[in-house]
Amino acid sequence: MSEAAMREPVEADPDRGTDRRNIDQARGVLEGEGSLQKVRGPEHSAREEVWTEEPTAGGDDPTYYDRPVLKEPVWISAVPAYFWVGGAAGAAATLGAVAQVADRRGFEGLVRRARWMAAVGAGVGGGLLVADLGKPSRFLNMLRVFRPSSPMSVGSWVLAAVAPTAGIAALTSGREGVPGGLGDAGGLAAGVLGVPLAGYTAVLLSNTAVPVWQATRRSLPALFMSSGMTTAAGLLGMLDLTEREERVVRRFAVAGRVADLVAAKAVEHDADLVRTVGKPLHEGLSGTLWKASEALTAASLVASLLPGRRSRLRRVVEGTLGAGGSLAMRFAVFHAGKASSRDPRATFHQQRSGHGGLEATGREPVSAPPAG
Amino acid sequence: MSVRAPETVRERKGFFTDTTVCIGCKACEVACKEWNQLPDDGFVFTAMSYDNTGALGASTWRHVAFVERPVAFGGQTTADGDFSWLMMSDVCKHCQSAGCLENCPTGAIVRTEFDSVYVQPDVCNGCGYCIAGCPFGVIGRREDDGGAWKCTLCYDRLKGDMEPACAKACPTDSIQYGDLDDLRRRAEERVATLHTRGVREAYLYGASEQDQPGTGGLNAFFLLVDRPEVYNLPPDPVAPAKKAREAWLSMAAAGLGMLVVAAGAVLSARGGSR
Repeated sequence: MSEAAMREPVEADPDRGTDRRNIDQARGVLEGEGSLQKVRGPEHSAREEVWTEEPTAGGDDPTYYDRPVLKEPVWISAVPAYFWVGGAAGAAATLGAVAQVADRRGFEGLVRRARWMAAVGAGVGGGLLVADLGKPSRFLNMLRVFRPSSPMSVGSWVLAAVAPTAGIAALTSGREGVPGGLGDAGGLAAGVLGVPLAGYTAVLLSNTAVPVWQATRRSLPALFMSSGMTTAAGLLGMLDLTEREERVVRRFAVAGRVADLVAAKAVEHDADLVRTVGKPLHEGLSGTLWKASEALTAASLVASLLPGRRSRLRRVVEGTLGAGGSLAMRFAVFHAGKASSRDPRATFHQQRSGHGGLEATGREPVSAPPAG
Repeated sequence: MSVRAPETVRERKGFFTDTTVCIGCKACEVACKEWNQLPDDGFVFTAMSYDNTGALGASTWRHVAFVERPVAFGGQTTADGDFSWLMMSDVCKHCQSAGCLENCPTGAIVRTEFDSVYVQPDVCNGCGYCIAGCPFGVIGRREDDGGAWKCTLCYDRLKGDMEPACAKACPTDSIQYGDLDDLRRRAEERVATLHTRGVREAYLYGASEQDQPGTGGLNAFFLLVDRPEVYNLPPDPVAPAKKAREAWLSMAAAGLGMLVVAAGAVLSARGGSR
């Protein structure tokens, strides 16, 4: 290149102003490892908070200017909404399959409604998950591989299997002959897969670096499972059922609500083993949602145990309380995880108290200057 | 539970970052941005010492941390009370048990022939599970892009037999690139040298599986002189999948419980009136 050409002023590229790379595309080729990254504006994560006290190193409990050590999960509200919908779909599929095996003709109405709930829930759930993706058009990549180490991969395959099997079962409910047989097979398959569908989301959350989720890995699956039962039974109970079917649904609901309350206490216990880890379940938005969830679930349990005629209105109130409690719980756990990931001390204290790698491997890491 | 395929790893490459010679020039940050053609960080002022980068993220693959400590270095005195600077160029650790890779449901995150962890941008669908799975808060997702991004260990340069841009640009050799076995040997020699010179607090962070069992060792490890928390590093990080067994067992037990309850509810109502 001649000297004159080098001194020429660079023409303003219309894309340069928004690209934030400051590369003159007439002279530089965009083929670096990060060049595929689409950029429109500055990152919002760059915003900072003003300190009230200067955070500095040293002392017994140091952090790096109180900055988070982890990245906050990027998931939107569609994710906890999916936890709720998917949990209900899974529990409904299982209850429907058990009723089908016991007495398909006798429980015809219940089996049909449970199948529809499973099919619709799986379909809506899939839509919610696609909406959460950063690149929704690539949702099919979820079924590109099967990776047992990733609960999200396992769950994607389970969801992809429940949706069509429950769908076939729902469409052929009450039919005889080949379609009926096909539907029964579908209902059975959806019922078996409904168990992991109702519970895998808790495994998915606990299989992260987020302190409060990782700490509750033993109790959270039980809470998510019982919560699915509570929601499925609450919603089924609002529909037209025979007296016998209504009794089935009510017993399923009562068991779910009792298990909800017990499991919630177990989750709190696991989280509170380290004070900073359990904090989001007691404070802030997540703490409020968590308390509301417990209150709603307890109210629905009391309502379902009170004597008297089981009118439709009563079943609707009862079911709404239970399903609402379950929904509040999913959002409480979701926001607790976000808060937990923002608090560097949650991570530091959890790992310093032996609940990090030590717990999983039985061996201590090198994590301090040598003594002396 | 590891999903890496060691037979595809031909060379084991990585970084040894010696924080005692880091001068905080940020040449690594700039070289990384330039080579990889990453966008800027928005030019914010954080008031955190000289650190206006803040953290690693989708388009920040090197980050220099600045710590102003009211503690003197071992064997040193300062004119105005006890004081010392700590500077550390942070980067993706390319863990042996990588939380991001093990969590990735699409197979977008792979282990390369250089034993590094690489995100394939044309496969990633932006599910965000890697971001929750990283115990170091390294990998990020830009809102305007939607995909997950992090340090590639300059995969393109490595394929052309060049060292990563950050290591190339580092004027003090604080960032050293090379074969892992070689780097570990050099790092241990450096720690021994520092100890003899009176910097008794020097130690290696994540240099091997023995040093950090939770991650199986880091392919980008560090020489530190204070607790990891001071540099915003977790003291005992763990790849989440190492604890997954308990969660799956708990789910199986709860699922069995749900089946029993369903059977009990159905059977107890079977004999009654319709």
